[in-house]
Amino acid sequence: MTKLLRAGFARLFKNKVFCLLSLFSIGYPLFLLLIQYGHPLQIDALIVSYGTMIGIVMSIFISLFLGTEYSDGAIRNKISVGHKRAHIYCSNLLVTAAASLYSYLLWIVEVVVVGIPMYGGITMPLSSLFLTLGVIFVAVFAYNAIYTMIAMTVSGKAVAAVVSIMLAFGLIMLALTWFDRLDEPQFLEEISVNEATDEVTITQTQEPNPSYLSGTKREIYETLLNINPAGQMYQLAGRAAPDHAMLVCYSLGLVAMFTAVGIVLFDKKDIK
Amino acid sequence: MDYVLKTNALCKNYKHFKALNGLSMSIPKGAIYGFVGKNGAGKTTLIRLICGLQAPTSGSYTLYDRESNDREITKSRRRMGAVVETPSVYLDMTAEDNLKQQYLILGLPSFDGLTDILKLVGLENTGKKKAKNFSLGMKQRLGIAVALVGDPDFLVLDEPINGLDPQGIIEIRELILKLNRERQITVLISSHILDELSRLATHYGFIDNGRMVKEMTAEELEAACRKCVRVEVSDTKALARVLDGMKIDYKILTDKTADVYAKVNVSHLAVALAKENCEIISMWEHDESLESYYISLVGNGGGRND
Repeated sequence: MTKLLRAGFARLFKNKVFCLLSLFSIGYPLFLLLIQYGHPLQIDALIVSYGTMIGIVMSIFISLFLGTEYSDGAIRNKISVGHKRAHIYCSNLLVTAAASLYSYLLWIVEVVVVGIPMYGGITMPLSSLFLTLGVIFVAVFAYNAIYTMIAMTVSGKAVAAVVSIMLAFGLIMLALTWFDRLDEPQFLEEISVNEATDEVTITQTQEPNPSYLSGTKREIYETLLNINPAGQMYQLAGRAAPDHAMLVCYSLGLVAMFTAVGIVLFDKKDIK
Repeated sequence: MDYVLKTNALCKNYKHFKALNGLSMSIPKGAIYGFVGKNGAGKTTLIRLICGLQAPTSGSYTLYDRESNDREITKSRRRMGAVVETPSVYLDMTAEDNLKQQYLILGLPSFDGLTDILKLVGLENTGKKKAKNFSLGMKQRLGIAVALVGDPDFLVLDEPINGLDPQGIIEIRELILKLNRERQITVLISSHILDELSRLATHYGFIDNGRMVKEMTAEELEAACRKCVRVEVSDTKALARVLDGMKIDYKILTDKTADVYAKVNVSHLAVALAKENCEIISMWEHDESLESYYISLVGNGGGRND
């Protein structure tokens, strides 16, 4: 597999889509830093916020990068010279995971190097920031496993790209929906406005909120949100993640499950 | 005889459709094996199976004496280079980068010999030109170049001259002959362009509807397609005696007809046959082309598979 990894990285560094990914990882945080200039900005929040969009970025990158193996027929070369399909699959997963990590690291370096002189230092304790980033990187690996499975089992590059991008948006939509449901207050709130002062007062009543999730239903929603990599990212960005170790376990579970299924499907796939 | 590839009753089904239906064939070492069949006859399917791109539904094959279900078959595949259908090259890379990729995939310690391969296929001057900007012939030659990385002993080429202009066809033909003669590479070349194959192949396999119709050497095919004079006489036994006396090669077809493989002096033959109380009823030149031989093998009515 070392041979395949070497070939994969050599191709990565010559790949146009990878160049675009690098440009985005440098250009977009720079854009965000510049448009916010003159207003307060938390550097650590900007560092962590890439997690909420990396799912979409990587869905595009992975489907195009790995899709080329099918569209150009190059995957046939690897198989016909005797490489095992599981090795081809794992090497592609590792190469794209490295690309994701590289993209995130570029983002961090950009924000730190340009952002700190503009907006001041990191407010969050460094140990917490590193811990959060560690959990994010594992969640990014889970994204990789999902998109690699799609790219390696769907032969059409365009189809794989559409499916991956739709899934990326789907995971975000689901995460936001579940997040909203879980965020419902337990009791209904009463909003009153003082017409003289225009002051808005929110007071909690004792009337139960019918939209509030409780019991098993709440546990299911919380579990789904924690399993969903997009859900993890939003919780980590909002510093509302319940248990970092549990999130890492869920992400590693996703990696194991999607990689195992992907390898089995790819192994049985008739390649043209 | 040593065989590079032997298939035994190979079958491949796509749902209810039988792409290969008990195909058995043998490719001798050092041969240029012309794999002949109509579009959809099963040529590409067989190539996909031996390259490991697809698994057979039933049957087996041996590649360099290793069974297809042997876990070590991958070692035999390392001795193979293949161009299946379209050339397998990264279109956004140069010819040199494509070859480097293959060197890395094979785990070769250095890029030694890369320039020689590019020269061999005539792509040494393509510089920074990307493969997507190559002509069809150049892409085809690049595909062969990629297949040649690692000095394979067995080259599999699927329809390598499809869509090429006459110059491109000549270049590919010369290249294949050179590889076979100078490097002793065994070549399996599938095609439905029989005339072109006849300039290359040392062995033939005719496939139709997923089955091997006939395997033969180039000499056997040449004999089958030999120019001759077909003679209809009243008694072929008498004709045989006369032709033996004249030391002329012939083949008796029925008790009235025979093929004579020489230009005979008709007057002499008529006189000699008259002495044997045999009459010549008719004579005509008979010339079976490779195409007509193929048609006679597989028939006109064979349905397409795809």
